[in-house]
Amino acid sequence: MIIAEACRQVLKDVGVNPERTALEWASAAEAPRFVELITRYVSAVKSIGPLGKAEGENKEAVIGMHLKAGAKAASALKVRTALGKLAKDIKKSGDYSPGIISEGVTKKVFPAFREERLTQEVQICLSEIGPCKSADLSEKTGGGIKEIGKILETLSRKKMVKKQGSNWYGIGMGNQES
Amino acid sequence: MTAGDFNPHILGFFCHWCCYAAADAAGVSRYQYPPNVRVIRVMCTGRIDLRFILEAFGCGADGVFTGG
Amino acid sequence: MVEAGRSPNIEILTSARLENLDGKPGRFTAIVHQEPRFIDDDKCTACGTCTMYCPMPVVDLFNERLDITRAPHIDYAQAVPTSYYIDARACLRINYETCNLCAQTCTAQAIDFSQKPRKLNLDIGAVVLAPGFGRIDPSVLKKYGYGRFHNVVTSMEFERLTCASGPTEGHVVRLSDREPLKKIAFLQCVGSRDEICGNGYCSSVCCMYAIKEASVAKEHDPDLEVVLFFMDIRTQGKGFDAARERAEEKYGLRVIRARIPRVDQVDGRLALTWTTDDGKSCSELFDMVVLSEGLSAPKDAEAIAEIAGIELNHYGFCKTCVDSPLVASRKGVYVAGAFQGPKDIPESVTQASGVAAMVSELLSEARNTQTVTLSYPEEDKAIESEGPRIGVFVCHCGSNIAGVVDINAVRDYAGTLPDVVFCRDTLYSCSQDALKGIASKIKGNRLNRVVIAACSPRTHEPLFQETLKSIGLNPALIEMANIRDQCSWVHSQEPEAATEKAKEIVRMAVAKARLLEPLEQTTVDVSPTALVIGGGAAGMTAALCIADQGFECLLVERSDKLGGNLRRLVWTMDGGEASEVLDNLIKRVDGHPLVCVMLEAQVEDVSGYVGNFTSSIVKAGQPVVVDHGVIVIATGGREYSPTSYQYGVNKRVVTQLELEKSLASGKGILKNIKNVVMIQCVGSRGEDMRHCSRLCCTQAIKNALKLKGIKPDIRIYCLYRDMRTYGFSEDLFKEARKRGVIFIRYEPDRRPEVIERDGRIKVRVFDRLLKDEIDISACLVVLSVGITPGANDVLANVLKAPLTPEGFFLEAHVKLRPVELASEGIYVCGLAHGPKPLDESIAQAKAAAAKAAIPLAKGKAQVASIVSRVDKAACIGCGICESLCPFNAIRLFRVNKRRKAETITASCKGCGICASHCPTLAISMGGFTDEAIMAQIHAFAGERCV
Repeated sequence: MIIAEACRQVLKDVGVNPERTALEWASAAEAPRFVELITRYVSAVKSIGPLGKAEGENKEAVIGMHLKAGAKAASALKVRTALGKLAKDIKKSGDYSPGIISEGVTKKVFPAFREERLTQEVQICLSEIGPCKSADLSEKTGGGIKEIGKILETLSRKKMVKKQGSNWYGIGMGNQES
Repeated sequence: MTAGDFNPHILGFFCHWCCYAAADAAGVSRYQYPPNVRVIRVMCTGRIDLRFILEAFGCGADGVFTGG
Repeated sequence: MVEAGRSPNIEILTSARLENLDGKPGRFTAIVHQEPRFIDDDKCTACGTCTMYCPMPVVDLFNERLDITRAPHIDYAQAVPTSYYIDARACLRINYETCNLCAQTCTAQAIDFSQKPRKLNLDIGAVVLAPGFGRIDPSVLKKYGYGRFHNVVTSMEFERLTCASGPTEGHVVRLSDREPLKKIAFLQCVGSRDEICGNGYCSSVCCMYAIKEASVAKEHDPDLEVVLFFMDIRTQGKGFDAARERAEEKYGLRVIRARIPRVDQVDGRLALTWTTDDGKSCSELFDMVVLSEGLSAPKDAEAIAEIAGIELNHYGFCKTCVDSPLVASRKGVYVAGAFQGPKDIPESVTQASGVAAMVSELLSEARNTQTVTLSYPEEDKAIESEGPRIGVFVCHCGSNIAGVVDINAVRDYAGTLPDVVFCRDTLYSCSQDALKGIASKIKGNRLNRVVIAACSPRTHEPLFQETLKSIGLNPALIEMANIRDQCSWVHSQEPEAATEKAKEIVRMAVAKARLLEPLEQTTVDVSPTALVIGGGAAGMTAALCIADQGFECLLVERSDKLGGNLRRLVWTMDGGEASEVLDNLIKRVDGHPLVCVMLEAQVEDVSGYVGNFTSSIVKAGQPVVVDHGVIVIATGGREYSPTSYQYGVNKRVVTQLELEKSLASGKGILKNIKNVVMIQCVGSRGEDMRHCSRLCCTQAIKNALKLKGIKPDIRIYCLYRDMRTYGFSEDLFKEARKRGVIFIRYEPDRRPEVIERDGRIKVRVFDRLLKDEIDISACLVVLSVGITPGANDVLANVLKAPLTPEGFFLEAHVKLRPVELASEGIYVCGLAHGPKPLDESIAQAKAAAAKAAIPLAKGKAQVASIVSRVDKAACIGCGICESLCPFNAIRLFRVNKRRKAETITASCKGCGICASHCPTLAISMGGFTDEAIMAQIHAFAGERCV
């Protein structure tokens, strides 16, 4: 349930309609319910339309990149630790009410994810497109100017990016996550 | 492409004990439902990692259905 | 059920009945008569073609005659054996030698009309009677309109109507016109607590199942109006009251207390007329009336009793005693379930396990002499470690798959997939000869990964795994592509889309198969000793039962003597002497060579897992360390100590146990008393404790009758909320009313008060009939205090075992695993599990002993192969996995001052929550690795993947 909520928030961030995911329960004896759920879900997705197009963005370029960075971010230590900690705390408290879960994800998991996603994406942009202005990076990644600025700063401290004039360059673009 | 002939490509993660079993039971009863879902069986929905879902969308899935 | 069907040591004889039983315990000869099924269950693939072609409709008895089926049919999809059978009364071939359509259309050739009834002579050691319960006679139901009015149904019928796979697919409709319902009533106690129909007892289960059925109906249609008519609400099971209150609130169920209303039909609707317990007369119209029918003795109880040579009680159920609730009157014959008395699922399952222990005690010398174990050749590690050589077998399943999916296309497509070196289609992959063929093809082509594109891994994977094992391959090297249950069957109108889907399913399966790795089939040795914590009735019974099955047992008791709460009890519910039961238990425990008792000792620390626990037990300040294989918790409970009703202030206010003691000694407070007031639910049901203590109602009545026995002129008032004298205890309730005990019901918001003035006691209570408060002067006030859990939290902490909100130990599954904890190797019984009377504690102790003896008897604990594994190098010791694991199957330990996680494979259930939440991706799941799932996702995408 925590994963499902994280998933919704994260998808929104990468520009995918969260209604494209569903978490439903059907017990072994509930075949008709299962059929109803699946049928309803398939038609819901149908009415949303194909991934990317329906989101109003160019699928390959934007969502593709967001998702690529997102998948990497979901493997990142910081994000996973935040998610794991939240799951641990909620289990301990025993309170699984949707409000609590949603608040926990918003406060604890989502910021870590967004920062990591943008960090990944900045690096992907720089390595795939080449040198960019920070405004371009902000537009491509969907991150705010301030957010991107902070990320670039951190990255340059780690000697992953370098600034020359108003352009940013990537250095040795590998995946920094082990 | 109109909405009518759009055939979404959907990935399902089904719990072995619950939803997967319900899907089997639907087969036994010959209920019909749209053929758009491909299923990955897991032993429990707890197995599902955020990465899987993002990866699936990254691979072009139009939807991801988790069935517990 | 599936497990029973799969065990090589359980032979299931269907359509069979016992005809004779000779011999003595350990050496019986039974004659069993078996009717033919006319369908060979080894060959039947449960495809359903026979039902489809059969021209002969028959009423569907499983669906309570609300549906029709055909002569060949299966009751429900999950039936075991999963095989169809032919109703001989309707079959044209059997009766007129015509038709034969089913035999002609069955491609598996499973129909066999040459089958004849047969008689079997069985040499057996013990007999367990579990024929269940019988139905209430229709003439009783007729009183309430059943059979006269269409829309009066039984609860059994209603159950089928609400069932998603039932005749109306879960839509609750009026039977008269199949229209949806607006208003519905449940009438309780139909065929129960009814002397006129001969069933004076309470059926124990109807109150709760009515609440359940009402909830299901409301879930389906939130606008439905539901009214339930109760005399007493008897939801005394563990957690039942809480569940009922939740349901009443969530679904807005209306509860009316009244005797069973009269049912009439007015303008097509049903008119109910009743009188409430405060004397008002009411009438309302309903669309449907559900009769909550009770449980009768089985129809053939008398025949069973005569053949098995056992006695029945006066209601026709099997006769048993309080201290041996599972033993029938003939030695070596045992009983479990509703035949012993009406009971719910948890108690039935508990008794069934208990009975297994009794049989195991009786036959312990013969253990492992006739059991079947299967052996396999050595695994061929060389082949397994070669690069993947995948074989794909695509099954036609007769026309079940091939009728929709283009098998050749799927097979040829499979051949184009990476690492697939062999592909073949088969008619019925699961048939014996096909399995042989598959085995030889695997060997001949040096295949080391196998994909079977056929039906569901849930039903058939074990079969194909067997095949792999039989030729020296690891059973984990197979992957099934479910192109029947989840493809051809559900997309039969769209063959092209189905074929496309089948190809993709196979593609995903192959992608996973490429990454399959052999999984270790490990076993761990078991320390053949049990630790039983708590030396009361449950603990002693469990210890003796384990010891009688031939295993050592360490019984740890906190106090300085054995006995627990049983010491304080004077009489058992059936009037027997409690001390006799106690003395007998203690004598046997003391004299048993395999039971070692430690008094004044406490368990301070437990580590390890099933088969290999190590505990530190402190006695007289000195810790003793013991190794053992299993743990039975029997720490008991306590009598609740009230702070209200002047208890402890006035010595004329006592508890039931204190009264009982005085009754036995005939001294003290009993002198010169004329009026006694008993107050029920003191502490229980929302006063201090949320739960119902289950036994106080019967206890109060037992003592009231004793009082009446000693002083027939004494006046006894019993102030109660619901009299929960379930089962045969209802007889005592009836007897008490007959003997003049006055029962006054009170509402929880108007509890009685005990008032003392000038040394005299009065009890003030609101009388619902008079609609006013009345004062009853009392020489003695007896409080029916409930059962409160002992200091379970301390032990729960040591064992990392969960407790219920009320503080009792939480079982792994309320209905199916009532004596096991979620962590393997730990069992619970007696009051530590929840309040219950002595006979139920004893049955439960036997059940816990049965479960505990399983790992002990096996000597080795089989470890499941789908388990998690932690990569120590990647682990950062954050402990998230440890805290999230629902089975305590991960522990942290220190290596070079760093914390590292480790899976206790014996406890792991393979759910994977640890892997999906590991920050460093250090945990891998056997059979469901990240890589394999990612490969499936990529294969799902095919060319789409960016």
